[in-house]
Amino acid sequence: MIAHTPPNQNAVSRRPRIVSVGTANPPRRYTQDEIIELFGETDKRITRFFKSHHIKTRHLYLPDPVNGKIPNESNQDLSDRHMNGALELGPIAIENCLKPLGLSPEDIDYLCCISSTGFLCPGITAHLTKNMGFRDNVHRFDILGMGCNAGLNGMRPITGLTHANSGKLGLMLCVEICSAAYVYNKSLVTAVVNSLFGDGVAAALIRDDQSDDWQRGPQILDFESYIITDAIGTMRFELEGSKQSFFLDRDIPYVLGNHVENPINRLLGRNNLKLRDINHWVVHSGGRKVIDAIKYNLGLTNHDMRHTLSVLKNYGNLSSGAFLFSYNELRREGVIREGDLGVAITMGPGASIETALLSWKS
Amino acid sequence: MKDYETLIVNKKGNVVTATIHRPNSKNAIDIQMLNDLSGLMEQVEDSHDVDVLVLQGDGDIFSSGIDLSAFSPEKTLDVHGIHKWEKMCRQLERLDKFTVAAVNGDCIGGGAQLVLACDARIGTTKAKFQLNEVKLGFLPGMATFRIAKYIGLGRAKNLILTGKTFTGSEAQQLGMLDEVCEYKDFDALLESTINSLLPFNPVALQMGRRLLNECYAETYEDFLGDFLAAQHRCLNSESFKKLVIKAKKDQTS
Repeated sequence: MIAHTPPNQNAVSRRPRIVSVGTANPPRRYTQDEIIELFGETDKRITRFFKSHHIKTRHLYLPDPVNGKIPNESNQDLSDRHMNGALELGPIAIENCLKPLGLSPEDIDYLCCISSTGFLCPGITAHLTKNMGFRDNVHRFDILGMGCNAGLNGMRPITGLTHANSGKLGLMLCVEICSAAYVYNKSLVTAVVNSLFGDGVAAALIRDDQSDDWQRGPQILDFESYIITDAIGTMRFELEGSKQSFFLDRDIPYVLGNHVENPINRLLGRNNLKLRDINHWVVHSGGRKVIDAIKYNLGLTNHDMRHTLSVLKNYGNLSSGAFLFSYNELRREGVIREGDLGVAITMGPGASIETALLSWKS
Repeated sequence: MKDYETLIVNKKGNVVTATIHRPNSKNAIDIQMLNDLSGLMEQVEDSHDVDVLVLQGDGDIFSSGIDLSAFSPEKTLDVHGIHKWEKMCRQLERLDKFTVAAVNGDCIGGGAQLVLACDARIGTTKAKFQLNEVKLGFLPGMATFRIAKYIGLGRAKNLILTGKTFTGSEAQQLGMLDEVCEYKDFDALLESTINSLLPFNPVALQMGRRLLNECYAETYEDFLGDFLAAQHRCLNSESFKKLVIKAKKDQTS
């Protein structure tokens, strides 16, 4: 067991809060049937992946059809789609995040951009600084290739930075243009991916400011990570011709479910909490199997997972930003009460399970 | 085990017995009892040396139901309190131990609601059930959700809408009680009921019970997804691994 001091026992008991979350998606939304039609797919072994009722629609940057069908795309087309998508949706999500607080990019001290669906150098933070007017001394870092779990991997250093520098503003942006990572080769492996992932961007503003109360957003009390190194090959990008194609192992959702108690028990245990003390669950919408597995391994209900399920249904798997979409749905629902506790869980390649403990105490 | 004002709690080996005890009020359920039952659920859940929880009533009565005398027209029970009761019943229904309701005498309203949340339900021929809330002008809690699954919708409507009393033997015929016996044989029946549940595989118990509780509420496809996740967990549990090792050993020896 790893020794660990609960951070909420530090001298300063106040912790940074998530004070705003903004999201954005491509303007065009497709039903699963429309996508099958556009790909001209008739093979029942492939179309069945699109028929699961757990996903109804996804927002995607698909190219305009030629004679009713999606044209073949080059690696350059996909790479451009990632950059264009990031630079179109990133600013919208950031504005949706900052505007309610009357803030603008020049107020931001730390900027972290996360993506696993394309590679840019200079990174997204550099492009957004140029396009949106972040300060020339903004502390930037880009997290690339960590996958669906990466939202919490980015939130952790931002939380640490804002905790050490109270009053400073940390902005995290999850940019996943999953349609820029689609490979269409009529195989079952790519069908799983092409039927599951959607495009979406989410921005979260984090700060440690004594004027914020519980209604502004939860304090981030603690994090716990977990990596199942035996499962390192179960979710990965691999070259398919000239393109990076994402591979998802059949059983990894259940393996993740089977391990989720480990970080959760550590996270709750060192904060003297039990599962029954948690009022709200903000869980990554990874797919139906992994949601089922987390439900049954932690004893959570469909009600606990309602936002995870509805984000999956309306957007598909949005990768690193998905949990922030769920978080916003929870906020909009208006059921959070003062003193409530929440746990965020994201999971992805590694195989990784990332967790965070949230508290709506004043 | 901790002491409670309205519950007598004993632990013998791996079995905790909680006896509802409000002798001056016919074991009626008040806020104190709700708090005590909630506390008991947490305590039992946190006890790693407990496999079985038995609920029974003190004397010749299980419970006479909600204690209406504890409320006044000015300070009536609000839905928040009702929600707390339902949370406690749900905790009982999902407890990571086997749960047994042992009913002798009157088991009215909230008492019957507790019974419906237990894994095993036994009674004496002197047991007498009644869900008379609708007759009185309110609702029998989430028994409205549970009872038809035991006895069917038609019979559930009949019992809930007429509020009629039914005996332990009738409850057994309906499918609400597993077994009924004479009072003198009740201790033996309780013991054999507990033995029939053991050994205790906490993972399989929770997975199997949850699937059964949800089997009426989901489509085949959703349920299949849940089942596969639950079975994956069972196949990866310590007890299943031991089973496989033992089978290998038996084969080679």
